Amino acid sequence: MTTDIFEELRTAVVAGNTDKAEEAARKALEFGVPPLEAISKGLAKGVREVGDKFAEGDVYLVELIVSGKAMKAGMAILLPAIKAQSKEIERSGTVVIGTVEGDIHSIGKDMVGTLLEANGFQVINIGEDVPASVFVDTAVKEKADIIGLSALLTSSMPRQRDVIEAVKESGHDIKVMIGGAPTTKEWADEIGADGWAGDAVTAARKAKELMEAKG
Amino acid sequence: MLSLLTKNEVEMIHTASMEVLERVGVLLQNKKALDILEENGAAVEAERHVVRIPEYLVRDALKYAPSRHRMYSRNPKYDFTIGDGKPYFTNAFGAHYTIDLETSERRLATLKDLDDFTILSDFYPTVDYVKPNIMPQDLSQDVLQQEMALSMFKNTEKHCSMLALTPEGWRDVIEMAKILVGGEDEFLNNPAIIDTGFNNVPPLKYSSDIIEMVLECAKYRIPFDISTGALASASGPITLAGMLVQGIVENHAVLVLTQLVGPGTPVMWGSCATILDQRHGTAAYGSPENGLIHAALVQMAKYYGIPYYGAAGVIDSKVPDAQAAYENTMNALISTLAGADVIHDGVYGILEAGITASFEQFAISNDICGAIKRVARGIRVTEETLAVDIIEHVGHNKNHLTDDTALMFTKKHIAEEQWHPWITDRSSRPDWEARGSKDIVERARERTKKILETHEVPPLDREVETKMVKIIKKRAKKS
Repeated sequence: MTTDIFEELRTAVVAGNTDKAEEAARKALEFGVPPLEAISKGLAKGVREVGDKFAEGDVYLVELIVSGKAMKAGMAILLPAIKAQSKEIERSGTVVIGTVEGDIHSIGKDMVGTLLEANGFQVINIGEDVPASVFVDTAVKEKADIIGLSALLTSSMPRQRDVIEAVKESGHDIKVMIGGAPTTKEWADEIGADGWAGDAVTAARKAKELMEAKG
Repeated sequence: MLSLLTKNEVEMIHTASMEVLERVGVLLQNKKALDILEENGAAVEAERHVVRIPEYLVRDALKYAPSRHRMYSRNPKYDFTIGDGKPYFTNAFGAHYTIDLETSERRLATLKDLDDFTILSDFYPTVDYVKPNIMPQDLSQDVLQQEMALSMFKNTEKHCSMLALTPEGWRDVIEMAKILVGGEDEFLNNPAIIDTGFNNVPPLKYSSDIIEMVLECAKYRIPFDISTGALASASGPITLAGMLVQGIVENHAVLVLTQLVGPGTPVMWGSCATILDQRHGTAAYGSPENGLIHAALVQMAKYYGIPYYGAAGVIDSKVPDAQAAYENTMNALISTLAGADVIHDGVYGILEAGITASFEQFAISNDICGAIKRVARGIRVTEETLAVDIIEHVGHNKNHLTDDTALMFTKKHIAEEQWHPWITDRSSRPDWEARGSKDIVERARERTKKILETHEVPPLDREVETKMVKIIKKRAKKS
């Protein structure tokens, strides 16, 4: 029975079916499946599978996004049970992601967020036009491992440096990754970013590397 | 030559666009612009910065927006009129990296690269006016626009379209243009010595800086292009018809604002919209959908009676290969055949969708666009060109290579009838082998080096240059 429920959770996520994912999550609780296992062997497994397929060019981005939504819907149902057991979901890490101040572009950042979630990260997307202090405050509050900074304008790129400096000043061990069309690897090095990526798949890979380095 | 939409479809797209403009509206992060629109009858939701624009304001704007306008150059022989029925081509815009001509290594782009690509733009006959091919990475940002403008003014006599990045920098560039034409009054009479271009933040948004610079253009009546930048399935709908609707709304919002502030300001109405590749999460510019969007928007621009400016010919390939050639050719050709007034990014010396400049690709694209321009000229059908007399004269037993009358006829018409490529190979195999069996990339590299060694652009007047440099120095000191 338990194996069947794992399979139900996984296929609901792969199919991007939110209703089915919720239904399977409820069933898992009903039949006493450990909620953390329902995630790792069901929901998360499904989304990872779709994420890997996306990286191989076998599925569309839209499929990955709806799978991510189905996974989150299922998790929302399992979460109270996990909390009741005083346990925590195992994550790859927590990332606060946003577009820097003076820039209202969102598409690239949202795609990176999707790929990070598919790779097991908890993603806190704080939107666009975000001041440096808000990045740092949110990251500290959420105990984030990484801050992801997007900038789509040549004129807003310098704001990425501001955030990196604010992180340093805060004294917290938070890694900063940057990206966005006008940015370059050289720019990332210049402003002291911990990582740069030119696309969402690479960004997720880079985030994992940073987590491994962090140990 | 190419007409994609039926008359009924054009009407449907227009109606849907007006509905979105009136009902959903556009977000402008600029209070001044919102106030102007509100005073003139648009409905503004101040808290959300959203303006809903009624159709009659669009109709009013279209009365004032020129259907054609003349662009001026340092050397008047390069002046031309956008909207006169001919397609005008520009080079590419804004690479951050360059594949070095000597080492073939990819490295950060420099101001020297902008000099070189501008010199090449001056040389290439397919480039009708010049865009900043390079976004130099070795300049400080407070003087970026100004240094780029100086590089372009110096290295070509053709009309220059400048980068407008920040209102402050853009105002400096306008001051530099005033110096070029000889003063404030001369510039007011002749603001089309420069132009620029703006994109929105799709879906349906404009940043404060962009709107401020649009207002600056409207104040002087400096021509500019406004180009929707939506990506289908990401910042715009997956359906191409929906992309047209959103693009029209985004462009029209700025057209209306501009004509309210500076009636008669030339606005090139355009697109750099394309699809998001759903398998890679990247913007796919070399896609057939990109060409379809251009072809349809050309028709819409004609319906509105304003010139169309399409970023058509952008290459996704990372190297100057067969993929690069087909991407560049397909969309530049589709747009030309559809009747675009400006094929921006046509002569495309960049790879990787705008990121990495390639000298070789620029030379290859010069040939591609030369061929496209020949196609655009079409076939001249007159009594003379039908050549009945010559065909009769040559008859069955002579030919056009031997008969004197036929030879004279060929000589008279050859320049008009035949286009001759620059680096494309049409030689025989023995000839090609004797010349070292070189492919087009190698030939492109060699010819480019030669042009950069030999092509001379008459220098700017020394006093003009000194005054421009002074503006840059002043800004550098302030910052």
